[in-house]
Amino acid sequence: MLKIKDLHAVVEEDGSEILKGVNLTINKGEVHAIMGPNGSGKSTLSKVVAGHPAYEVTAGDILFEGESILELDPEERAHKGIFLAFQYPVEVPGVTNKTLLRQAYNTIAKAQGKEELDPIEFEDYVAERMEVVEMRPEFLERSVNAGFSGGEKKRNEIFQMAVLNPKLSFLDETDSGLDIDALKVVAEGINQISGKENSIVMVTHYQRILDYIVPDHVHVMVDGRIVKSGEKDLALKLEEQGYDWLAEIPSAAVNGQK
Amino acid sequence: MTTLKKKEQTFLIDLLDFQDSLNGNSEFVDNVRMKGADEVRNTPFPHSKDEEWRFISLRDLYSDSYQHVSVLEEKDPDLRDYFLPECANSRLVFINGVFSIKHSSVEALPDDIVIDSLARLAASDNPLVKEHLNKYTTFEGDVFSSFSDAFLQDGAFIYVPKGRKIDTPIHLLFVQTEADITYFTTSHSVIVADEGSEITVVEDHIGLGDNKYFNLPVVEVSAGKEAYVKHTKIQRDSQEAIHIARTSAFVEKHANYESYTITIGAKLSRNEPRISQRDEEVKFTVDGLVLIDGEQVSDTHSVMDHRFPHCESHQLHKCVIIDKAHSVFNGKIFVRPHAQKIDSFQENRNLLLSRKGLVNTKPQLEIFADDVVCTHGATIGQLDEEEVFYLKSRGLNEKQAKELLIYAFALETIENITVDSVQKLLVDEVHNFTERQLHSEFTI
Ligand SMILES: Nc1ncnc2c1ncn2[C@@H]1O[C@H](COP(=O)(O)OP(=O)(O)O)[C@@H](O)[C@H]1O
Ligand SMILES: [Mg+2]
Repeated sequence: MLKIKDLHAVVEEDGSEILKGVNLTINKGEVHAIMGPNGSGKSTLSKVVAGHPAYEVTAGDILFEGESILELDPEERAHKGIFLAFQYPVEVPGVTNKTLLRQAYNTIAKAQGKEELDPIEFEDYVAERMEVVEMRPEFLERSVNAGFSGGEKKRNEIFQMAVLNPKLSFLDETDSGLDIDALKVVAEGINQISGKENSIVMVTHYQRILDYIVPDHVHVMVDGRIVKSGEKDLALKLEEQGYDWLAEIPSAAVNGQK
Repeated sequence: MTTLKKKEQTFLIDLLDFQDSLNGNSEFVDNVRMKGADEVRNTPFPHSKDEEWRFISLRDLYSDSYQHVSVLEEKDPDLRDYFLPECANSRLVFINGVFSIKHSSVEALPDDIVIDSLARLAASDNPLVKEHLNKYTTFEGDVFSSFSDAFLQDGAFIYVPKGRKIDTPIHLLFVQTEADITYFTTSHSVIVADEGSEITVVEDHIGLGDNKYFNLPVVEVSAGKEAYVKHTKIQRDSQEAIHIARTSAFVEKHANYESYTITIGAKLSRNEPRISQRDEEVKFTVDGLVLIDGEQVSDTHSVMDHRFPHCESHQLHKCVIIDKAHSVFNGKIFVRPHAQKIDSFQENRNLLLSRKGLVNTKPQLEIFADDVVCTHGATIGQLDEEEVFYLKSRGLNEKQAKELLIYAFALETIENITVDSVQKLLVDEVHNFTERQLHSEFTI
C-alpha cells in the first residue's frame, strides 16, 4: 500500500534536513507503530506523507498503491485515501465539525467516483460513525477543535477518520492527552475502523496505546532515520530501556551513509 | 481643513444653485435646507491633505458633475428579491431617494409607533419631526452633513413610544436604480427609541445596476433610557457608487445600542459611526464587516465617545481584502474626565488575501480618566497556512478551504445579527464574494 524509499526531506524555509533516508513498507491491513525520541522526525514523516507544504522532499520517493504521490497536493492525497490524525489538531473557529465533515466526505466521495450524501443521508451516516468513538451529538455543531481540550481534539481526529474511512492513516501521538478511559474508547474505535483493507501507522513514544492496538510491526526512528524494526516486543523493550541503547547503533547499519 | 482647488470644489457648490430651486413642502424643512446650504458655502470640502481623509482619494467624487436624483424619471423596479420575509409588513422603501408607498408596509407594527417617510411627516407638520430631527448628531462642522441638510428630502422616521418592545424587525430599503446620468442622492433617517422600548432596524442600501452615483445617507439614532436598539446596516451599493454615510447614536442611561455595519458594495465608501454616551451605565456595540475586492475602497472612521462613568463598549471591525482593494480603519476611543469604570474593547482584524491589497489601520485612544480598561488592537494577516493544510488534508481543495476560512472569519460578525434572513443573505454574499475570486489571482 505505502512504500517509502530513502526519503530525504528538508524544511523548505531554512533547508535544514529532518528526514535523512527513511525506508518503510506498509502492506494492506497492517498496523505499524513508529516510536522514537522527541525531535527524531516522526511528525515530519507523517506530514510529508500528507503533503505539508513546509517540507521539500530532496531525494527518495513515496509510493502509494504503486504510484508516486510526491507531486500530489494534500487534498489529492486525501482523495486517494491517505489520512493524517494530527499531533496538534488545528482549531478552525467558525467552521463546524458538521460542515467540514460533510464537505470533506463528499469531496472525497466525488473524487473516488462514489455517491455523495445529501444533508439528511449524511446526518444518518455521521450518527452511526459517532458511536465508533462515543462522540456526543452536540459535538457536530461545535467549531472544529475550537476550545476543545487536548483529549477532545484527539478523539475528534479519530472521529474524522471514522467518517472519512481512509485506506491509510497516520495517527500522530493520538494517545497523548487522553486519560485511560478515553484511550480505551479511542483505541477500540481505531480497532473497529481498521481491517483487512485499511492500514494504520501509529506514531507514539509510549507503548501504552499498543496494549490496546497491537501492531504487526514496530519501528524506531532516531535522527531522521528508521534505525530498527521489529515486532511488538520491541516496543516493550523500548519502554523498559529507553532509546539510548539505540544511539549506539550507527545509522550506517541502516543505509550505509553517515 | 484646507481649501480645495477651485476646480475640485465646483462640482458640489454648483449643486447648491440647484438647491435654491428646490421647493419644500414644509417651512421647517426649508429652514433646515437654507441653513445647510449656508454652511456648505462656508465650509470647504475635504481633501486628502486633511488628517481625517489622508488615506483615501476623493478624486472619484470630485471629478464628475452630478445631477440631483430628482431629475430621474420615476422607476418601478421589481424588488421582491430584496425583501426580507420577517419584514413583509414592516418595511419602508425608498427608490432613488423617494418614498415608495407601493412597496412599503407597516401593518405588522403596533399602531402607537410612528413610522413613515420623513417628508410625509414633515409635510403634515408632525411635531415629532421638529422635536427630533438633527438632535442626535455629532457632526457639527461636517460639510457632508450640511450638504445632506441642504438637500433634505426624505428618509425614514421611526418613533417608538415608551415601553413599547417590538419583536418584528423593520427593514429600511434604499434602492438606487440604473440611470444614464451620474446623480447624487441623500436621505436622512431618524430612529428614536423612547424610554424602555426595543427595536431592531435593518438599514439596507442596494444598487440595482453598476452605474456611478453618489449616495449620502444620514442616520441618527436615539436610544432612550433603558431602551435597546439593534441596528444593522448593509451597504450593497453599485460597484461604481460612492457612498459617504453619517451615522450617529445617542445612548441614554441603561440603554443598549448594538450596531453591525456590513460593507460589500460601492467603489468608495466611507462610514462614520459616532456613538455618544449620554449618561451612566450604558452599553454599545459598533461592529463592522467589510468584504472588498477589485479596486474598492472602504474607509471606516468611528468615534466611541465615553462621556460618563460605567460603560461597556465593543468594536470588532473585520475586513477581507482581495485584489487591489483598500481598507482604512480609524477608530477613536474617547474617555472623558470623570468617565470612570469604562470597559472598552476595540479590534480591527484584516484578512489581506492579495499582494496588491492595502490596509491602513489606526486605533486612536484619548483617555482622560484613570479607572478604565481599554483593550485595542489591529492585525493584518493572511489565511493561516496550518488551517489551510488541515482542511486540505481532509480532502478540501484550495478554493474550498479558503472559502470556508473566509466564511468562518466573516461569521463572527454575521452570527450576531438577530434577523435570520439577513444572516442568510450575508452568508450568500460571503459565498459570492469568495466565488468571484475563482478566476482572480489570489495569492496567500
Ligand atoms: N516546520 C519546521 N520548521 C523548522 N524545524 C522543524 C519543522 N518541522 C520539524 N522541525 C524540526 O525537525 C525535528 C523533528 O521534528 P518532529 O518531526 O516534530 O519530531 P517528532 O515528531 O519525532 O518529535 C525537530 O528538531 C523540529 O524542530
Ligand atoms: Mg511529533
